[in-house]
Amino acid sequence: MEEKIEQLRQEAAKAVKQAVGSLGDLNDIRVKYLGKKGELTTILRGLGQLSKEDRPRIGQIVNDARQQLEQLIAEKNEELREAELKKRLASEKIDVTLPGRRAPRGHLHPLTMTLMEIKSIFMKMGFTVEVGPEIEKDYYNFEALNLPKDHPARDMQDSFYITEDILMRSQTSPVQARTMESHEPNSPIRMIAPGRVYRRDDYDATHSPMFTQVEGMVIDKGISLADLKGTLESFLKQIFDEKVKVRFRPSFFPFTEPSAEVDISCVMCKGKGCRVCKGTGWLEILGSGMIHPNVLRMSGYDPEKVSGFAFGMGVERIAMLRYGIDDLRLFYDNDLRFLKQFW
Amino acid sequence: MQVSVKWLHDYIDFTETAEELADKLTMAGIPVENVIRADEGLDKVVTGRIEKIEVHPDSDHMVITSMNVGAAEPVQIVTGAQNVREGQIVPVAMIGAKLPNGQKISKGKLRGVQSNGMLCSAEELKMDVTALPKEQTEGIYILPEDTPVGIPASSVLGLDDVVLEFELTANRGDCFSVLGLVREVAILTGNEPKWPVIKVNEDDAAKASDMIRIGIQAEDLCSRFSARVLKNVKIGPSPKWMQQRLEGAGIRAINNVVDVTNFVMVELGQPMHAYDYDQIAGHSLTARRAVEGENLHTLDDSERLARGNELVIADSEKPAGLAGVMGGQESEVTDSTTAIVLEAACFNGASIRRTSRACGLHSEASGRFERGTDVTATIRAIDRAAQLLQEMGACTVTQGVVDVYPVAKEPVHVTFTAEQINSRLGTEIPAERMIEILEKLYFKVSPQEGGVYSVEVPSWRNDVTFMEDLSEEIARIHGFDNIASTTPRGNVTQGGQKPLQAFADRVKLALSHMGMCEEVSFSFTSPEIFDKMELPEDSSLRKAIPIMNPLTDEFPLVRTTLLGSVLENAVRNLSRKNEDIKIYDVAPVFYPKALPLTELPREVVKVAGFMTGRRNPVGWSNDSAPIDFYDAKGIVEDLLEMLEISRYQVEAGEYTAMHPGKTALFKKGKEVIAAVGELHPKVAENFGITKKAYVFEMDLLTLLKYTVAKSSCTSLPRYPGISRDLAMLVDENVSAAEIERTISRNGGKFFAGVTLFDVYQGKQIAAGKKSMAFSIQFQSNDKTLTDAEADEGFQGILEAVQKEFDAELRG
Repeated sequence: MEEKIEQLRQEAAKAVKQAVGSLGDLNDIRVKYLGKKGELTTILRGLGQLSKEDRPRIGQIVNDARQQLEQLIAEKNEELREAELKKRLASEKIDVTLPGRRAPRGHLHPLTMTLMEIKSIFMKMGFTVEVGPEIEKDYYNFEALNLPKDHPARDMQDSFYITEDILMRSQTSPVQARTMESHEPNSPIRMIAPGRVYRRDDYDATHSPMFTQVEGMVIDKGISLADLKGTLESFLKQIFDEKVKVRFRPSFFPFTEPSAEVDISCVMCKGKGCRVCKGTGWLEILGSGMIHPNVLRMSGYDPEKVSGFAFGMGVERIAMLRYGIDDLRLFYDNDLRFLKQFW
Repeated sequence: MQVSVKWLHDYIDFTETAEELADKLTMAGIPVENVIRADEGLDKVVTGRIEKIEVHPDSDHMVITSMNVGAAEPVQIVTGAQNVREGQIVPVAMIGAKLPNGQKISKGKLRGVQSNGMLCSAEELKMDVTALPKEQTEGIYILPEDTPVGIPASSVLGLDDVVLEFELTANRGDCFSVLGLVREVAILTGNEPKWPVIKVNEDDAAKASDMIRIGIQAEDLCSRFSARVLKNVKIGPSPKWMQQRLEGAGIRAINNVVDVTNFVMVELGQPMHAYDYDQIAGHSLTARRAVEGENLHTLDDSERLARGNELVIADSEKPAGLAGVMGGQESEVTDSTTAIVLEAACFNGASIRRTSRACGLHSEASGRFERGTDVTATIRAIDRAAQLLQEMGACTVTQGVVDVYPVAKEPVHVTFTAEQINSRLGTEIPAERMIEILEKLYFKVSPQEGGVYSVEVPSWRNDVTFMEDLSEEIARIHGFDNIASTTPRGNVTQGGQKPLQAFADRVKLALSHMGMCEEVSFSFTSPEIFDKMELPEDSSLRKAIPIMNPLTDEFPLVRTTLLGSVLENAVRNLSRKNEDIKIYDVAPVFYPKALPLTELPREVVKVAGFMTGRRNPVGWSNDSAPIDFYDAKGIVEDLLEMLEISRYQVEAGEYTAMHPGKTALFKKGKEVIAAVGELHPKVAENFGITKKAYVFEMDLLTLLKYTVAKSSCTSLPRYPGISRDLAMLVDENVSAAEIERTISRNGGKFFAGVTLFDVYQGKQIAAGKKSMAFSIQFQSNDKTLTDAEADEGFQGILEAVQKEFDAELRG
């Protein structure tokens, strides 16, 4: 009896080991030995016919053989599954280098992106964003800004006129006067005014009859040129780069006194001198200054009580430097191959 | 304005290089645009004597020279020039020289003969050939016989000067002169200037006032007119040194009289004019307004008719010059001139600018008058000019000046306190330092009570009238770099955008999120665009504002339609083979209340979009179906949803440039909040668009009006709902919206929503009919719905659609 069991065990173990085909083959082996009518099952069932002394011992041997076999089958089963999965995975291989299926994507215009960033920087510094009309009164565009009638900047060649007294605003500065007028006299203001402006310039790589400006103004008690420097330095470092160098050069604008032209170290060559900065290492980026007393006075503010600074910048210029764009016309050409390069 | 460093050095010493000086001036508000070195590329060009000329064995047009360049050994150089002779001294470019024209000189052989350099022509040295006699411009430039050999050629050619080119600001008229710049150089370098001594010897017995009468009839345009008369004038060339100074200033030498007036203008900043005394009719000069139609015969030999507001200097018969702009032809100084009148006047800048612009004449003189000159400088100028001509032995000077100065200008006084200025600048500069700066700039400072200082402004500083102007003087000399950077103190203000601004950004982000590309277009338009858009003749959109002085005839109007701009950009893209287009623009259009404009127009911000081409990006597995009406409509629906705008009706309607059968109007009551449609085939044809295209337009402010400020969220259902499908045949003219409305109204209390999931027309469907399939949801918020409850609602719907639309239910 023991011999028979041992023989069966070895026979079954061999069969399991040799089973190489499908999981079905393995199942056949299981049925043959361990199934309801399987050979080991039959012996187990026949235990009753054995002597009382033999019964536990033989029973133990059969059970051991059975357990051993189950273990072997389980292991083999695992092995076969593994192999089968491997095979399946290998057969399911695809060309993952084929391009993915892209959803249609939209884009913001680079000027909008730049403007959104400029606005966000100033809003964090407590500035409000103001607007004014694009078709503007001569008074707001020039006179309220201390640009007397015969100032060169007023010449017909430079602005688009609608009537003698109405023009397409040539700068965002008229929003200064409008903002002051909308405030209690001498109350504090921190604002920027972004918008389109119009000049009678030929359309070329650096000029356009319409472009975008951001005007800024801070008025309060005791505002100084030092505050202007601090505010604009902070803005320029945020919009360009923490490492950018900023320099203030005395200049002249009719609406500020003192006036300063603001340069940054060239973002293209890091100040070494290149084509973009014409070898100087510096780029003109902003016009600014302490608001002229006449400008405050004309809009109902008292220059004896408050002071302020103002600044203006071209959004196109900033966008061109940030994105390395060398021709301003690309902004207004709206070629999709250009527009799709942004965000 | 440009000036040579040598000229500055005539009046002040400094050790700074031209570049260092340029930087100091720029940082003090006197911007130097360029430093031009005449000797650039000439560092290896020396003087050399031609010791021997030999025939070239292999060439009949080249010769071999043996050059003495001051070295121990002669240098052999082959040249092709025909004008060389033994004994001449010429400029020699040595090995390693890189000439101004970029030519590099290296060792080489010319037709087999070694050549160790090059003899140079005037042009190769970048000399001004137009100023040279003809024989010096052809072949090698021949230097004077007494020129030492072996010295830098630049020093003997007058090419060793450095020129500073200024881009002066409009307020600093005083710096349009060498002396004005010297004042700035003095304060920036700390050195003392040596001012020219102006002294004139009236050596002619004749009295100027007997010879000439001066008058001013337009005192508002001419505040002073001073003159001197010079006799025994001998016209000839001016001395070399003066020619060189003028050349450095960019002014061509003409003759001694003209050169002197130009020299004095650049030196003192006071424009001058010299008249031929014998050509002045009646020997009188009057500053007066021109009479309309009067002939102005200017120096450039052109005839102009006066418009009637120009200031002219007239003799007793006719205008003898356009004041401050250009002299007249008849009284021009010529070789036969023997007596002259020197004029120095002070004219109104605005008037000069108007005249110079109107005539298209911009001169050194007009540029200076426009920025304002020093009214006290006229006498100095005529004296200086007389002195210089006298020193040249070119004239005798008659007795006295003739000076008309009706209202003497009082000096301007400004007061300040150190505290005022420090507060404006954010600095702590001591009063003593401020006074020092101002005094070095020739302001006269006198202390008054309580820390107040009174300042007398120098006559040439027309730009200084306020304390604030003084603060600029102090800041620029103190150095902007030496001012700290601080953050504004004071009340904290809350930053933020105006609602419409923020809303515009939101619309842009939403549309870009949905696959649309933002464009930015010019605010101009033209009647041609209106024609292409098929606007009716009486359309209010044709009432666009005309620009008085448009840039080109292409865009004479300010736009009333954003769609027109979007269409133009679409066409440009199509012409560049960008065929799949989804673009939009958010920008204002301008509606005049009346034309011509008497008040500002209404500016209305519009949102307009255009779509054509494929729905999906091109790809190996992407559907390449074209965009259709429902893609465009979907964009509008999505946008409205993202803007929290709901409860609108959609109706078929008509809209500018849209196909009348394929236009949907989104409405709130009677108000149209959005329009979307297929581009009208006629409009498409006019613009040259051959593919089907779809457009939409909205009004930003209207959208803002209907957006819900705060959206709320509904919680998820806690019990399962039931859905029933309804398929039916209806007449093809029944609109989906009508059926959906009927379903919603008749679904009973558990009705929760309806989705149209299929529309079909074609095979198996009777002509004139369409098949539609809806999925209808039923839901309760407080229990699990039974089939019976759902069926009850569904039954109500079935009956209603059969009754209202004669719907035929399908299996």
